[in-house]
Amino acid sequence: MEFLADVFVTPFVDMVQAPDFLMQVLWEGLVSGILYALIALGFVLIFRSSRIFNFAQGIMVVFAALTLVGLFALGVPAWLSVGLTLVVMFVLAVVIERVVLRPLVGQPDIILFMATIGITLFLIGFGETIFGGENKVMITEELGIPTGDTVLEPFGGLLILQHLDITVVIVATLLVLALLAFLNYTQMGRAIRALGDDHQAALSVGISLQTIWVLVWFIAGIIALVTGIAWGARAGVSFALEVIAYKALPVLMLGGLESITGAIVGGLMIGILEKLFEIYWGQPLLGGNTETWFAFVLALIVLLFRPQGLFGERIIERV
Amino acid sequence: MKHFTKLATAAALGSVLGTAAIAQELYTPNLAYRTGPFAATGIPLMNGQADYMTLLNERDGGIGGVTVDFEECETGYSTEKGVECYERTKADAVVTQPWSTGITLQVLPKTNTDEIPILAPGYGFSPMAYGKVFQWAFNPPSSYWDGASMMMQAISGGDMASLSGTKIVLLHLDHPYGKEPIPLLEKMAEMHGFDLVLIPVGLSQMQNQSSQWLQIRRERPDFVLMWGWGAMNAGAITEAVKTRYPMDQFVGIWWAGHDADLQQVGEDGAGYRSISWSMPQPDAPIMADLEEYVFSRGLSQAEDTDWVFYQRGLVISMILAEGMRTAQQMHDTAEITPAQLRDGLENLEITEERLAELGMSGMVPPFSTSCADHTGHSGGWMLEWDGEKFVQASDLLMPDRDLIRPLEIAAAEEYAEANAPWPVNEACDPES
Repeated sequence: MEFLADVFVTPFVDMVQAPDFLMQVLWEGLVSGILYALIALGFVLIFRSSRIFNFAQGIMVVFAALTLVGLFALGVPAWLSVGLTLVVMFVLAVVIERVVLRPLVGQPDIILFMATIGITLFLIGFGETIFGGENKVMITEELGIPTGDTVLEPFGGLLILQHLDITVVIVATLLVLALLAFLNYTQMGRAIRALGDDHQAALSVGISLQTIWVLVWFIAGIIALVTGIAWGARAGVSFALEVIAYKALPVLMLGGLESITGAIVGGLMIGILEKLFEIYWGQPLLGGNTETWFAFVLALIVLLFRPQGLFGERIIERV
Repeated sequence: MKHFTKLATAAALGSVLGTAAIAQELYTPNLAYRTGPFAATGIPLMNGQADYMTLLNERDGGIGGVTVDFEECETGYSTEKGVECYERTKADAVVTQPWSTGITLQVLPKTNTDEIPILAPGYGFSPMAYGKVFQWAFNPPSSYWDGASMMMQAISGGDMASLSGTKIVLLHLDHPYGKEPIPLLEKMAEMHGFDLVLIPVGLSQMQNQSSQWLQIRRERPDFVLMWGWGAMNAGAITEAVKTRYPMDQFVGIWWAGHDADLQQVGEDGAGYRSISWSMPQPDAPIMADLEEYVFSRGLSQAEDTDWVFYQRGLVISMILAEGMRTAQQMHDTAEITPAQLRDGLENLEITEERLAELGMSGMVPPFSTSCADHTGHSGGWMLEWDGEKFVQASDLLMPDRDLIRPLEIAAAEEYAEANAPWPVNEACDPES
């Protein structure tokens, strides 16, 4: 009976008794969720256009952030470093398309997936050789990103909003909106969607596979840079950032590998729900650290009922 | 590749010169981690270790006339890779340096049969201090239980009774390393009447600890102790600043006192403390020798040589070198075996005078080891981040050995029983 009360009553009583704390939990979940969604978008864009599950998305986050910090350390002004990092990510996209993907056109999906694991391992070794493995400070102030906080007192309590987090939420939201606009209202964007819908049909009307692949990998690089700045500003830039990218996996399972809406909704759902579960159920009842598995369990439950994810397309193959 | 080259060279010399003698080396592999999420902690430590051995080779021609082959095997702090490295290097090694509590625990039983000493300075399994049971394992100059005891003394101001009724959080990596202090802290909580709250941090949460710090905000602890490693440290310190947790109530173990981690927050981290059995001494005579024989010759990868971790790396290699030197003197041979090195590590005498001879005065408290005491229990200092660097913030603190020793013996005997048949050094007097 006591256990049932701990599960079904106490958490909600805690929420009501300390609404300011609940707001803080929801805010932290929202910030994490937006960042998860952003990483997941990188996966989705590449999967939609090429059917490749890009295992390298995590290391691209690290590589972009390290390049930015490394260029600044060489004396390049902050915003010029951002521009040059984007150039580096574009060159990386071209090289990946030319050297890795193009020779593998027509190969089974698993081969292309394995190729992205190869890209990951290469970028880890290359990055560590060039930049070293030390934790580096993100150039937050130099980029003009605000670092203070705003303290509110809702219900007589305390709610701390970091300006960095507010900036991240705004920038990530704008980036997502820009991506949606690009995909829906530009010729290139529609070409990416066309490839996602039907490869053969898209190719038959003259859409260039090579160009689109370079484009989506470059967009994934832009997303990686924004994500790298956001996470790096929170706790430094190191190869540990790669691990965070794997939090996008349950987001993709939940939202569907092909769905941009799914990536956004899935990211927000997981960010907020895992935080609520950890604070109100995980820590009091299970000893904490439930965020390492909660998102995967949630995604598995969804897959039981919707194998294609919440927003994925149901694929029916007729034999 | 390095070994292949040596092998090829030796074979060529042998074929040309017939019976020509080949110079021996003291092969001391280091299971290093310069890559992955924990590299931030590893790189400066490994640089310090390597530079000290390079100095001995360049300045003195090695130890007792035998050069030291200080080869690194990269583990990325992964237990599986660490065990592979151990297996790959053990054939020629006189020692193994596992560099992770997880790897140490895996390798511990193997070293009994392979008869290779484990050297784990300031890490590993705390009961390894009891040399009667752990004949081949050494964790000088301080164990984690020593560290926990000293941290508790520091936060209590020396009056443990004052902790009664307080709440203390242990924020720890969810890994064997992070769980090491829990038995001692639970015992102390029972004795002194404080509430101990354990908050684990998973590997995937190291850089996103908002949940852990929300819990800390809810619990309102009087103190937070941190057992962090690698990226976890910077993650915790930035979250502490973000949630406005008072820095003077936040204390880390010695692996959570890295300059680079605190630089993430700079001035905002002022007041954060870390217990340490080593003390940076940028003006120590050994630094001048390093400049002359190592840095100026381009033989070092190190950049920030006055940082806590780099200088601790020097001390760690000094402990190994002194063990090898002692073994050479005890057995009257320069080319020592692993068993002879075990004797050396069991008879370390790191005195003030010896530290002065080495040009390392003040870099580590004096300590000595014996067959029953494989740690030495040197004590340590509290270091405090002043916004730019770590500075000394206490006199030498000593662990509560009366409390810890029985726990070490009990845990060691329990370990031996659980892993029976476990060879014990019957000749060793526990009181020695």
